[in-house]
Amino acid sequence: MKNAGQLSRRQVLAAAGFIGLATLTGCGSGDDGEDSKDLSKKQNGAMKEYRVGQQFKATKPLSFSVLHNNNPVYPMKNDWLFWQELTKRTGVTFKPVAVPLVDYEKKRSVLIGSGDAPYLIPKTYHPSEVAFVSSGAILPVSDYVHLMPNFRDKVKRWKLEPEIDSIRQSDGKFYLLPGLHERVRIGYSLALRTDVLDRLGLSRPTSWDEVYQVFKAIKAEYPDRYPFSDRWSKNTPYPAAALFSYLGMAYGVRAGWTYNTIDWDANARKFVFTGATDAYRQMIEFVRKLVAEKLVDPESFTQTDEEAAQKLLGEKSFAISANPQVLVQEYRYNLQKQIKGAEIEMVPVPLGPAGPVVLGGARLENGVMVSSDALKSDSFVAMMQFVDWLWYSDEGQRFARWGVEGVTYTRSGGRYQPKPGISLMGSDPDASKDMQKNYGFYNGVFAYGGSWELVSSMFSPDEKTFQDAMSRRKELPIGPAHPLQSFEQEQASLWETPLRDHVTQNTLQFALGKRPLSEWDAYVSELKAKNMERFVDLHNKAYERYEKENR
Amino acid sequence: MVKPSRSYRVFQGVNGVVLTLVVLVTLYPFVNIIARSFSGERQIRAGEVALWPQGFNLTTYKIVFEDAMFWRNYGNTVLYTVVATAVAMVLTTCYAYVLSKRHLKGRTALVGIAVFTMFFTGGLIPNYVLITSLGLKNSVWAIALPNAISVFNLLVMKAFFESLPTELEEAAQIDGLSTYGVLLRIVLPLSKAVVATMVLFYSVSFWNSWFSAFLYMDKSELMPVTVYLRNLISGATTGGNAGAADAQLSQVGANIQAVTIVLTSLPILCVYPFVQRYFVSGVMLGAVKG
Repeated sequence: MKNAGQLSRRQVLAAAGFIGLATLTGCGSGDDGEDSKDLSKKQNGAMKEYRVGQQFKATKPLSFSVLHNNNPVYPMKNDWLFWQELTKRTGVTFKPVAVPLVDYEKKRSVLIGSGDAPYLIPKTYHPSEVAFVSSGAILPVSDYVHLMPNFRDKVKRWKLEPEIDSIRQSDGKFYLLPGLHERVRIGYSLALRTDVLDRLGLSRPTSWDEVYQVFKAIKAEYPDRYPFSDRWSKNTPYPAAALFSYLGMAYGVRAGWTYNTIDWDANARKFVFTGATDAYRQMIEFVRKLVAEKLVDPESFTQTDEEAAQKLLGEKSFAISANPQVLVQEYRYNLQKQIKGAEIEMVPVPLGPAGPVVLGGARLENGVMVSSDALKSDSFVAMMQFVDWLWYSDEGQRFARWGVEGVTYTRSGGRYQPKPGISLMGSDPDASKDMQKNYGFYNGVFAYGGSWELVSSMFSPDEKTFQDAMSRRKELPIGPAHPLQSFEQEQASLWETPLRDHVTQNTLQFALGKRPLSEWDAYVSELKAKNMERFVDLHNKAYERYEKENR
Repeated sequence: MVKPSRSYRVFQGVNGVVLTLVVLVTLYPFVNIIARSFSGERQIRAGEVALWPQGFNLTTYKIVFEDAMFWRNYGNTVLYTVVATAVAMVLTTCYAYVLSKRHLKGRTALVGIAVFTMFFTGGLIPNYVLITSLGLKNSVWAIALPNAISVFNLLVMKAFFESLPTELEEAAQIDGLSTYGVLLRIVLPLSKAVVATMVLFYSVSFWNSWFSAFLYMDKSELMPVTVYLRNLISGATTGGNAGAADAQLSQVGANIQAVTIVLTSLPILCVYPFVQRYFVSGVMLGAVKG
C-alpha cells in the first residue's frame, strides 16, 4: 500500500509538469507573424487626409481602451463632460480602466506583463517604459509617428529633436510618446519676506552674491534668528532638494531634485561625473559659507516641511524655497493671517557663475505608451491619428485643459477664464462646480505639455511674473542620446547607487562643515574607488556607439 | 469556603496591576487614533493630541461621508467579505473534514497539495492571467475563489475534527446517518468553536484585504473601501495635485489616516466581543492535538 501511495505522488508531479509545459508552449504561439509595417489593412475609421490644424473625426464610431490613473482629488466619473464632448468631436469613445493613483505603476506592470493591457497607457514617466521594451509588449511608437502630423510638427517647430533623442533605446527607437513643452517651466525658487527687505532698505536679490548680502543684513538685524530655513529635505532622495536644484542651475550643474549622476560637458563633448565637477564644488562652497556664517539654519537639511513652514510663520526665518502654489496657499495665506503687513514673494532664480541660464531637457513630460496589441487592431491608424489630435494638436490640448468654450471657459485674445460658477484649482472657493471634479478637464491623464500660450494661460499672477523673467534665460544644451544595452544597464545601476549615495552624503557633510573642503581630492578618489570612471566610460562608449550606428 | 492565602491575595493584587498596565498600553494607540480622528489640523501637527480630541473637527469625516463612492465601496466590502467568507467556510470545512479521516486513501497527497501552496505560488502575473482567462475579472468571485482556502486555517480545522471521538460518528452511522448527515448534524454542531474562529479569521482577512480587488477590478465602483481609503490617503498626503492644497485638504491630510483606521476597524471591533468567547476555546482546541 505504501508503494502505491508513492507512485501516485510521482504521477501527480508528472501530471503537474505536463500541464506546466503545455501552458508554456501555449503562450509562445500567440504571434501572428504578419508584417507590422503594412498598415493598409488597419485603416478602419481613419481619415484619408489628416493634417495639422485639422479636426480629427473618425469616419465610423470607434472605441479604444485606455488606462486611467484615478486621482483621488478628482475621482473619475462616467458623466464627465470630457468623455461626452470627446465622443462628439472625434467619434471615439474611451473605455477607461480605472486604476487608483497610488498603485498605478504596479497594476500597469501586471497588465502589460499578462498581455491584458489597454491599447493606450498614458501617465508613463521616462524611463519607466524601458522595463517593458525587451518583452515586446509595447510598441516602438517612433515607427508610427508618420501617422501623427501634430506630434512631428511640434517636435520640429520647438526643436525638440535632442530631447526626443534622449529617450531613444539602443535600437534607435523610442517607445513612449512624451508630453511636449514649448518652453521649460521652472518650478522652484527662493521666496523672501519682502516687507522685511523693504524695512531694511534692501532690494530684491538678483544674484547669489546679493542673496548673501541680503541674508547678512537680515542677520545683523536679527542676530538670534536664521535668515533662511529651508524645506523639501524629507521624503526626497536629497536633502534640501529644491534649494540645490535652483542653486545648481546658477552654477550650471544638476543637483538636488534635478541631480543626474552624469552630465553632458558641451565643450569637451563627453559625459562627466556631476558630483566631481568643479562647478559642483563651487556650489557646495557657497552653501558652506552660508552655513558657517549662520545665515542658513543647519536644520534645513533634516527638518520636515511643516517645521520649516512653522519657522517662517513664526518669524524665526525670513526666506524659504517655494513653488508658485505653496507660495500663495501655504506661505502668503497663513502669513497674512498671523502677521500684520507681512508680504512674501518668489524671486526669479538668482544668477550665479553660469549666467542667465536654465537647465535643458525639462521640456518632455510623462507620456503615452501604446500596447503592441493595438497594432493588431484594424483601426490602428485611426487610433494613432486620434492620439495625435487629443495629446498633440493645439485644439486637443486646449480642449483637455479648458474644456468647451462658452460652457466651461471663455476666451478673449490670449486670456482664458473659467465660466462663473466653475472653480479651477481653487480659483473660486465659492463656486458650485469644479473644472476637474465635475467636468473632467485639466485631468493629469490627458492635459499636459503644450504651447507656452496655453501653459501660461493657467498661471496665477505670481507665477506669470516669475515665468516671464525665467523664460528670457538661455537653455543649457542637453546630453545626446546614449542608450545602454540591457546588460550595461544592469551594470550601470549596480555602480550608480553607491556612487549617488556617496555624493549625497558628502554634499551634506561638506556643506555643513563636517568635512573640510581641503579633502575634496580625497572625496574624488573615494568616488574613483567606487567605479566612477568606469561608470562614466560606459556612458561615453554608449554615446560613441550610438553616434556611429545612427548618424 | 477556604479563605485565599495571603500570598495568593498578593499575587492577585500584583496580577491585577500588571494586567491593567498591559491593557492601558494596548488600548492607548486605539484611543489616540480615535482622538486624532476628531482633532483639528493644527493640534495634530503640533503633537498636542493624546487621549482626548483637541480642537474638535469633523471635516475629514464629512468629506469621506459625503462621497457616494465611499458608501458604494463600503457596501462592496461588506458584500465581498460575506460572500468570500461563506465560500471559504464551505470549502475549508469540507476539505478539513475529509482530511481528518484516517482511512481516506491518498490523504497524504491531499495534505501535500494543500501544504505545497503554502510554500510556492505561481506568482502575480500567472495568477492574473488565470483569473482573467477564467472570466472572473470584475466579479466577486475573483476575490472569493483564489483565497478560498487558507492552508493554516485548514490545518487547524483538520486537527480539530481529528480530536472528535470517532465513536460518536460511528454511533450516528449505525443510527442511519449518511456521511453528509454525520457532518451536518453531528460534527458541525459540535464544532461551533472552531467554526466561529474560522469565520472570524476569514472575515477579518477579507475585510482588510485590498490587493486582489485592486488587481482584478477595473472600475472604481467595484473597489472595496480599503482601496478607496488607500487612494484617499495618498492623495491627501502627497498633496495630490496643485488644486488640492486648500485649507480643507490640509485638514484631511492631517487626520485622514486616523479616520480611515476608525472607519475600517469599527465593524470588526463591533463583531469581535460576540465571537470572542468561541475564539478563545477554538484556538486552544486545535492546538493540543495538532
